[in-house]
Amino acid sequence: MSTVVFAKDVRKEISSLDGSSETLKILRGVNLSIAAGETLAIVGASGSGKTTLLSLLAGLDSPTSGEVHLAGRRIDTLDEDERAQARAGTVGFVFQSFQLLSGFTALENVMLPAELAGRSDPRERARVALERVGLGARLQHYPHQLSGGEQQRVAIARAFAGEPRILFADEPTGNLDTATGARIIELLFELNAQGHARGAATLVLVTHDEALAQRCGRVLTLREGALNG
Amino acid sequence: MAEVAAAPTGYALRRLRKGWRSGELMILTLALAVAVAAVAAVSLFTGRLNEAIALQTGETLGADLMLTSRDPLPKEVTKAAQATGATLAPVVQFPSVVLRGEATALASMKVVTADYPLRGVVRIADQPFGPARIAVGGPGPGEAWVDLRLWQDLSLEGGAIVQAGASQLVVRALIVDEPGRGVGFSDLAPRFLMNAADLPATGLLGPAARAQYFLQATGTPAQVQALKELQLPLGVRRVSPEDARPELKAALRNSAEFLGIARLAAALLAAAAVALCAAQWGVKLRDEVALLKCLGASRAWVLRALVLNLLALGAVAGGVGALLGVGAQEVVARMLGTLMQVQLPAPSLLPLLQAWFVALLLLIGFALPPILQACATSPIRVFQRDERVAGRRLPAVSAAIAVIALLWTQTQTWQAAALVLGGAVLVAGLLALNAWLLVLLLTPLKRAVGTSWRFGLGNVARRRGSTVAQAVALGLALLALLLVSVVRQDLLSTWRNRLPPNTPNQFLINIQPDQVEPLQAFLLSKGVTDARFWPMARGRLVALRGQPVTAETFDDPETRRWIDRDFNLSWSAELNPDNEITQGEWWGEAGRGMPWMSADEYAVERLGLKLGDTLTLDFAGTQIEFTIHNLRTVKWDSFRPNFFLLAPPGVLEEKAAAQWLTSFHLAPDRRSLLRELIQGYPNVTVLDIESLMTQVRTMMDRIIGAVEFIFLFTLAAGLTVLLAAIEGTRGERVREAGLLRALGARSSVIAKGLIAEYAVLGLLAGTIAAIAAQVIAWLLAEQVFKLPYGLRPSLWLVGAGVGALLVTTLGWWSLRGTLRTPPDRVLRGPT
Repeated sequence: MSTVVFAKDVRKEISSLDGSSETLKILRGVNLSIAAGETLAIVGASGSGKTTLLSLLAGLDSPTSGEVHLAGRRIDTLDEDERAQARAGTVGFVFQSFQLLSGFTALENVMLPAELAGRSDPRERARVALERVGLGARLQHYPHQLSGGEQQRVAIARAFAGEPRILFADEPTGNLDTATGARIIELLFELNAQGHARGAATLVLVTHDEALAQRCGRVLTLREGALNG
Repeated sequence: MAEVAAAPTGYALRRLRKGWRSGELMILTLALAVAVAAVAAVSLFTGRLNEAIALQTGETLGADLMLTSRDPLPKEVTKAAQATGATLAPVVQFPSVVLRGEATALASMKVVTADYPLRGVVRIADQPFGPARIAVGGPGPGEAWVDLRLWQDLSLEGGAIVQAGASQLVVRALIVDEPGRGVGFSDLAPRFLMNAADLPATGLLGPAARAQYFLQATGTPAQVQALKELQLPLGVRRVSPEDARPELKAALRNSAEFLGIARLAAALLAAAAVALCAAQWGVKLRDEVALLKCLGASRAWVLRALVLNLLALGAVAGGVGALLGVGAQEVVARMLGTLMQVQLPAPSLLPLLQAWFVALLLLIGFALPPILQACATSPIRVFQRDERVAGRRLPAVSAAIAVIALLWTQTQTWQAAALVLGGAVLVAGLLALNAWLLVLLLTPLKRAVGTSWRFGLGNVARRRGSTVAQAVALGLALLALLLVSVVRQDLLSTWRNRLPPNTPNQFLINIQPDQVEPLQAFLLSKGVTDARFWPMARGRLVALRGQPVTAETFDDPETRRWIDRDFNLSWSAELNPDNEITQGEWWGEAGRGMPWMSADEYAVERLGLKLGDTLTLDFAGTQIEFTIHNLRTVKWDSFRPNFFLLAPPGVLEEKAAAQWLTSFHLAPDRRSLLRELIQGYPNVTVLDIESLMTQVRTMMDRIIGAVEFIFLFTLAAGLTVLLAAIEGTRGERVREAGLLRALGARSSVIAKGLIAEYAVLGLLAGTIAAIAAQVIAWLLAEQVFKLPYGLRPSLWLVGAGVGALLVTTLGWWSLRGTLRTPPDRVLRGPT
C-alpha cells in the first residue's frame, strides 16, 4: 500500500511568551508514515502536542524543521497558498468544535469543499452526503437550529462530500455526550469503510477517547512531543 | 491533485444573500446607503436650488445675466449673445432732466422695450401709497412711469404731461417696485421709465450723453453659462444677480456652507459607521477564512470572494442610497418649488456618480483593510485561537487617506471642513480621556448599589478599554445629533434673526439740517423711537498719503469707478452695532474735533489704506486732510445706514454742506404716516424697502427649510454610528447574558444590568458630546458664519439625557431577543 502521509524528524518550537530566549519545544522529532486506507489514532495527554502534529500533517502549519509529505507531495517547503492547493480535494476535516459557517445552511456548508475543489455538481453531492448522515430533511437548516450531534453530522457530511483521500479528525466526539459521540463514531467509520470511487479514505484521528482509539487500526501515543507506537 | 478551480462569485453572492443575517453587514449597508443618499441628495438638490435661486435673484435683477457698457454694445457682442439662443432685451440708462411746467428734476432715465422685464415684475400704482399691481410689459409708446421721488419732485398726478428732451410723454403710473433696483444710496436718482420707441424723438442720447447700455438676457442654464463664458472686449462688463444683490449673495453663501456641512458631517459619520462595522466584520471573518483555507481555499480566492462580496454590497447600498437621494431631493424640490413659484431645473446625473464614488471610497478606505487583515488569518486558527493580526496599522493609515480624500471631494470650504474634522479628532481625544476618568470614578460605586447595577457598572468598569472606545464612538454620534439640533435651532435662527421683525424698512434721505429736529419730534410723536439720524457730506478724494490722486492714478477699474464720484461721508461718536473695529480703536467722544477717519474694508482694499495714512477730501472747495485712525468691517446686509468712511463729530459740521438721512421700522398698517410725512416735508425722499426685505426673509426661510431637511441625513448617519457601536459588543453581551442566566440570574436582573450599563455609557457620551457640540457650534458661528453665538448650558442636560435615553433604547432593542432565548442556545450556538 502506498504512503499518503509521511513525516520525518518533524519538530515544532515556539518562542517563549515571556520574551526570554528559551523556546518551547512542542514536537521533538516526530517520524511517521501512514499508508493509504489506514486508520490511525493519535492519543496523548492534554498539551502533549496532538493537535499541533495533526495540523502539521494536514499542512495547516509548517514545522520548525523536518519534512512532511502529503499525498505524495512534500508540503513543509510550500507557502500557505500552495499548501491550501495541496489540501483542496485531497484532505477532509472533522473538528471538535464543528466549525460550521453560521450564516450558511447545512447544505451550503457541505457544498463548500466540493466547490473549492472545483468538482461538478456540488449541490447534489452535498445533498447525497447529508442524506448519508441522516440529515436529508434538514438541508435548509442553519447551524443554530441543529443540536450538537446534528452539527457534527453536518461536519462529517462536509468532510466526505469532498471525497478526500485523507480525513483528519480532531477530537470529533469531544463536544458531544457519550451516546451521541458513539453514534458519530459509528457514522465516521461506516462512511470511511464505504469509501468512494478511489477506495476507503485514510483516517487520522486525534483523541482522548480510548474506546475511539481502539477502533483504529493503529494507535500512536504522543508524550512530551515524541511518539511512542 | 484537484486544483482550486471554482470561481468565488457564487460563494460571494451566497454570502451577500446570507449577509443580511449579520448585524454588522446590515448596518454597514445602511451606513453606505445613508452616505450615498446624503451626498446625492445634497449635490442634486444644491445644484437645482442654486439654479432656482439664481432664477429668483434673477427676478430682482430683471434678468439672469446682463452685459453692460458705457458705449453702445459692440455688434459682435450682441451677435455672440444672440448665438447662445438666450432671450435678449436692450436697456439704456442715462441721467437727464425731466420737466413739468416750471418744475425740473434730475432723473435716471431707463429706456426699455416691450419685453421688459425679462425676469421678475414691475409693480405700479396710480398714486403714492395706493394699492400696487403687477404691470404687464413696460410703458407703452408715448407713456412714462415714474417713481415716488420724481412724482414728489415734480408734484405729479396721474395723466400729467412731462417733457423729456424734445418729447412730451404722459405719466401713466407710479413705480412701486422694479427689478434691478439695488439698496445702495448711490443709484437712487429718481426713476423715469420710458419706451424705446420714444427715445429717438427725445434727442437725448447724443454723443456726449453719459449713458449706460445694458443687454439683459434670460435662458436655460446652458445658455446662461454660454453667456458667462463669452469673451468680452474691454469696457464691456457682465453683471450676474449675485453681483447686483450682495445681501442675497451672503444668504446663498451661508446656505451652501450649511448644506456642505450637513453633507460632510453625514459622510464622515457614515465613514465612522462603516469603519466600525467593517472592523467587527473583519474580526468575525477570521474564523471563516481559517476554515476556508483549511478546506483548500487560497488567500487570493478568499480575498476575491470577500472583495466581490463587498462590491456587491456597495452596489446594493449605492443603489438604495441613490434612490433615497433622488427621492429626497425631489421631495424638497417639490416642497420648495411650490413655495418659490419657480420651475426647478431637472437634476443632472453627475451628482449620482459622485455619490457612488463616495460609496466606493468608504468601502476601499474603511472596509477593505479589515478584510485584508482577515484574509491573512492562518488556517491553524481552526485549532488554536490566534489573535495576532497582520498589518495592524493598515486600517488607521487607510482611514486617514480616505478621510482626506473624502474632504477633498466633498468640501468647498476648507475652513469649515477643517473645523468639522479637527473638532471630531479633538472630541474623540476628549471623549476618550473623559470616559477613562469617569470609568475610574465609577469603579468604587458598584459596591454601593444593587445586583443589577453592580453587574452593569461592573461591566463598564471591567471592560475599561472597550467602554472607552464605545463611549468615543457613541459620543461622536451623539455629537453629530446634538450639532444638528444646535445648528438647526441656534445658528439658523440667529441667521434668520439678522433681519428681526423691527429691522428698518423705511429710509428717509435728503433731510436738510434744519429739518432734523422737527422731523425727530414728528417721528417721536408718532411712536417711532428707533430712528437714528445720520449727517452726510459729499466729498471728492483729491490726495492720498499727501500725493494728489485722480481716477487715472489707479489701475483697478473698480477703484477708478469708485474714486470717480463723490464719497458719502458721515460722522459719529458712536459706532453702529453692525460695525466692528478690526484695527485701531474707536474714538468715542474723545475724537470730537480730531481730523480722523474710520475706513471700511472695501475702502481699505480699494485704496490700500493702513492706520496712519492720510486722505485729503474736497468738500465743495474746502479741503480737509484726515488721518486713518481705525479700520472697520460692516455688515452691509443689516439694512441699516452705513458708510465706507466715517469721521468724528466736530470736524465737518462747519466746513461741509450736509444732508441727513435716517431709517426706522414702520409696521405695514401704519404706512399712512408716510403720506403725512411727505406733506410736511416735501423735499424728503422716502425709500420703502419693505418688499425687498420680505423677499430676503422668504428666501432665508426657504433655505433654512432645505438645510433642515438635509440635516435629517446627518441624523440618520449619526444613528447608524450609534447602532454600529452597540452592535460591536453585542456578541459579548449575549454570551454574558446567557452565562448569567445559566448561573441562575433572573431575566429582570440581567435586563436591569444591561439598562444600567447602557444608561451610564449614554450619559457619559452624551455629556461630553454636548460640551463638544457647544464648542464646535461656537467655532462655526464665529469663524465660518460670522454670527454671534452664546453658550447654552441647558444643552448639556439635554445631551446627557438624550444620550442615556438613545443608547439605552438602541441597546435594549439590539439585545431584547437575547433575554428571551434559552441560555443553552446562547452559549452553544453562534448568534
